[in-house]
Amino acid sequence: MKDIISEKMKIESMKHITKKTGWIELEDPEFFYVPLSQHIGQPAKETVSKGSYLLQYQKLGETDGKISAAVHSPVSGYVTDIIDGILPNGRKAKTVVIKNDFLYKKQEGEHRKIEEVGRYRREELLEMIKEAGIVGEGGAQFPTYVKYDIGYRKIDTFIVNGAECEPYLTADYVVMTSFMEDLLGGMKIIEKIIRPREIVIGIEESNSDVAESMAEILKERRIFNIKIHLLPTAYPQGSELQLIKSVTGKEIKKGEIPSNHGVIVSNVGTVKSVYDAYTESKPLIERIVTVSGEKVSSKGNYQIKIGTPLSHVIEKVKPETGAKIVFGGPMMGEEVSELQTPVIKGTSGILFLSDAINSVKRENCISCGYCVDVCPMGLMPMKFAELYRIEKYEKLKGVNLGSCIECGACEYVCPSRVPLIKSIKEGKKKMEEMGGLK
Amino acid sequence: MENIIVKNYTPHIRVKDSVTKVMLDVIIALLPAVLASALVYGVAPLLVIMTSVGSAVAAEWLFSAIFFKKYDSVKDLSAVVTGILLSMVLAPFTPLHVVAFGGAMAVIYGKLIYSGLGRNRFNPAITGREFMTVFFTSIMTSGAIWYNQEALVLSEMKFFGFLGNFSFLNNIDSLILKSSGAIGEYSILLLVLGGVYLLYKDRISWHIPVMLFTTVFLGMVALRIAGISVSLSMGRLMLCGIFMATDMPTSSSTPSGKIFYGIMMGIAVIVFWIFNIKNETLSYAILLMNGFVPVINDIFTPLLFGEDKEEVQGEKIGKGIVYGVVIVIAAVILSFLHHFGLVRYLLFIYIIYTTVMLARSKEIK
Repeated sequence: MKDIISEKMKIESMKHITKKTGWIELEDPEFFYVPLSQHIGQPAKETVSKGSYLLQYQKLGETDGKISAAVHSPVSGYVTDIIDGILPNGRKAKTVVIKNDFLYKKQEGEHRKIEEVGRYRREELLEMIKEAGIVGEGGAQFPTYVKYDIGYRKIDTFIVNGAECEPYLTADYVVMTSFMEDLLGGMKIIEKIIRPREIVIGIEESNSDVAESMAEILKERRIFNIKIHLLPTAYPQGSELQLIKSVTGKEIKKGEIPSNHGVIVSNVGTVKSVYDAYTESKPLIERIVTVSGEKVSSKGNYQIKIGTPLSHVIEKVKPETGAKIVFGGPMMGEEVSELQTPVIKGTSGILFLSDAINSVKRENCISCGYCVDVCPMGLMPMKFAELYRIEKYEKLKGVNLGSCIECGACEYVCPSRVPLIKSIKEGKKKMEEMGGLK
Repeated sequence: MENIIVKNYTPHIRVKDSVTKVMLDVIIALLPAVLASALVYGVAPLLVIMTSVGSAVAAEWLFSAIFFKKYDSVKDLSAVVTGILLSMVLAPFTPLHVVAFGGAMAVIYGKLIYSGLGRNRFNPAITGREFMTVFFTSIMTSGAIWYNQEALVLSEMKFFGFLGNFSFLNNIDSLILKSSGAIGEYSILLLVLGGVYLLYKDRISWHIPVMLFTTVFLGMVALRIAGISVSLSMGRLMLCGIFMATDMPTSSSTPSGKIFYGIMMGIAVIVFWIFNIKNETLSYAILLMNGFVPVINDIFTPLLFGEDKEEVQGEKIGKGIVYGVVIVIAAVILSFLHHFGLVRYLLFIYIIYTTVMLARSKEIK
C-alpha cells in the first residue's frame, strides 16, 4: 500500500524518509538571529542592548503585556546588533543578533527532580513555564503559561498532540520516540497545574509503534490516568479543533477558547519543553526540526537552536540550488527566500521542495465540489474564491470565512488550481478592514 | 512591522489532478456507449458524434481566440465532452449540418458566453440540443432521422435469448442493447458501466443519480396507480441522470444540495409527465434545475464545524420546501409555455440576455 495521509485526499506522506533516522544536533552557527516576536501576542521587550554579553539561557526579552512570551539566548556571546529582522511568515520583527563565542557559559538555574513535583504550587510551576518562554511548538506559538493559567475553570481533558498531519514532518514523531521519559514527566507537571480529569495522548494510526511502546510503559508503571487515543491518519488531524473532535467528540467553533469547553491541547514538543524548564531551568532555546524534501540529500531530524539562520542550515545540509524553501509543513508552512530567516519556536520543519509547483496554471472553478468534500470546517471554499474574484467582499462574512483554519486541504485537491488560499487570506484582510472577522 | 513578503501562498504541494483529467474520465466513461451506437448503426452515429465533437472543438478554439485571446482553451477537453454528450441525445440520422450547428451552439451559448468553462449556468449539451430544436424544428421533429432499416447492423443482442423466448430474458437482453432512441441510449448496461467508472474515479457522486432515479420510479408507480400512463426511455434516463444531471458546473456542489437537486429534478420530470410533455421531459427538468443551482448551493451548505445540527436543520428544510414549491410552479409554467409553443421565445430571450451580459463584462479582450 502506498504511504498516504487521508484516504480522501491521497496526500503522499513522505514521512518514511526521516522517520527512522532518529535525531542529530546541528552544529551551531557563529551568528544567531533571535526575534523578539515568536509567538501570538505582544512581542517581548528586549532586556539587552548592543554590546551586552549574554550567557546561554539568559533572558534577552521579557514578556510584555498579558499575552506574550520571553525569549532567551541560545548560546553565550555578545549582542552585536538589534535589527529589524525577518520572520518565516515574511513579517518583520525586532531581532537580537548574537555572536556565538562557542564557550557555552551557562546561566545556572535550579535543578529539580520530577518526583518532587508535588512540592511546588501551581503558580510556581506556571512561573517556570513563563520564565522559560515556552510557546506552542506545533506552529500556532501561543504562550503556554497563558493557556495553562485557567483560574477556576475545570479541565476535563488534557490532550497531548502527537498528531503530525503535515507530510514530510517527523519532528513530533522523533520527540515521542526519543524523549518518552521527558514527555511523561512533562505531563506530570502539567497535570499538577491544570488538574485535568484525564490526560489523552493523540497518536495517528500510522505511528502505532509509538502508541504500543508508550502503552507498555504506562502499563508497567501502573499509570492509569494517561490514555492513548489512536487517531485516523487524516488531514488536518493535528489541527487543534479537529483533534479535540476526534478525542472528545466535542465540536468547538473556531474562535472559541478550548479551555472554556474543558479541553486544553499541547504539542508533544511543548510538553517536553515544560519538562526541561522544570528539571533544568532550561528555557526554550532549541527544538527538533525535520529537514527534508526532494532537493536536499542530508535529510533528517536535527536539533537546531532557535535563532539559527537559514543560511547556516543551507551551509550544513547543502541543498541543491533552485529549491523552494518552506518553513513548516508543505500544506501550511511558509515559503521563505531571505537567507537570514531564523528557526523560531514554532519551526517544525525546513523543506527543500522542487519549485515546479510554483508554475501552476490557474483555471476557472468547475464547481466539482472537491473542496467542499475535504473542508474540515464544513465550509464551501469555492465561494470564498468566487466572492473574492468578483470583489463582493461584504458577502464573505455570510459564508463563514472567519471559520476557515487555512489548512489548505481545499486548494490541495482543486483540479482547477483555483487560488483558494490567496482568496481566503486576502479576503480575511478585506473583512478586517470592513469591521472585523467576528 | 506589517511589511509582509508573500512569495507563494500555501499549499506547497498539490494533488496530481487537473480539469483535463476530469474531462478525460468523462470521455472514457462515454466510450462504451459510443461503441454501442456503432454496433447498432455502424458508421452513421459515429459521423454524428465526430461532427458534433469537431464542431464543438472548432467553435471553442475560434471563439476563445477571437474574443478572449486565449489559444489553448481546447486543451482542457471540455469541448470534446460537450460534443460527445450532445451527440448522445441526438437521433442517429440527424443531418450533419444541423449537428454541426448544435455542436457550435452548445459550446458558444452553453459555455463560452459566460466567459468560459465553469461559469456556465446551463448544461451546454442540452442547451445545444434546444438550439437545434428551435432553429431546425422540422428536421428535429421528423421521424426519419430516428430510424433507418438499411443502416441497421444489429438490432438486438441475444445473450440469453437462446434459452428461450421468455420476456424476462428478453428484458435482460434489451438492457444490454436495443436499437431505439438517441445515439447514447442503446445500451443501458454500458451507460451504467460508465457511471460506475465515474463513481470509482470520484468524478460524480451517487446523490444526484440515485435520488433522481428513485423519485422518477416512485412517481411513475404513483402515476400508473392514478391511471396516467407514462412512457419512459430507460436509456435516456440513465444517460441524463449519470452524465448530464451530474455535470459539475451546472449541478449543486454539496451532498445535501445534490440530494435536493436530484429529488427535485425527479419531481420536475413527474410534473412534465402530468402536463403531457413527451420527449423533452428530461431536458427541461435538467435545464430548469440548472437555473436553481445557485440558490440550492446557498441553502444546502454543509454543517459548519461546531454548529448545532438541530438549530440550523429546521431553517434549511423550511427553505427547501419553499423552493421545492417554487420549482414545481416553474415546471408548471414551463409546461404551459411548451404547449403554447413559447419555449422558443425563452431561448431568444436567453440569447439576447447572455450576449448582452458578455458584451458588458470585462472578459472580452
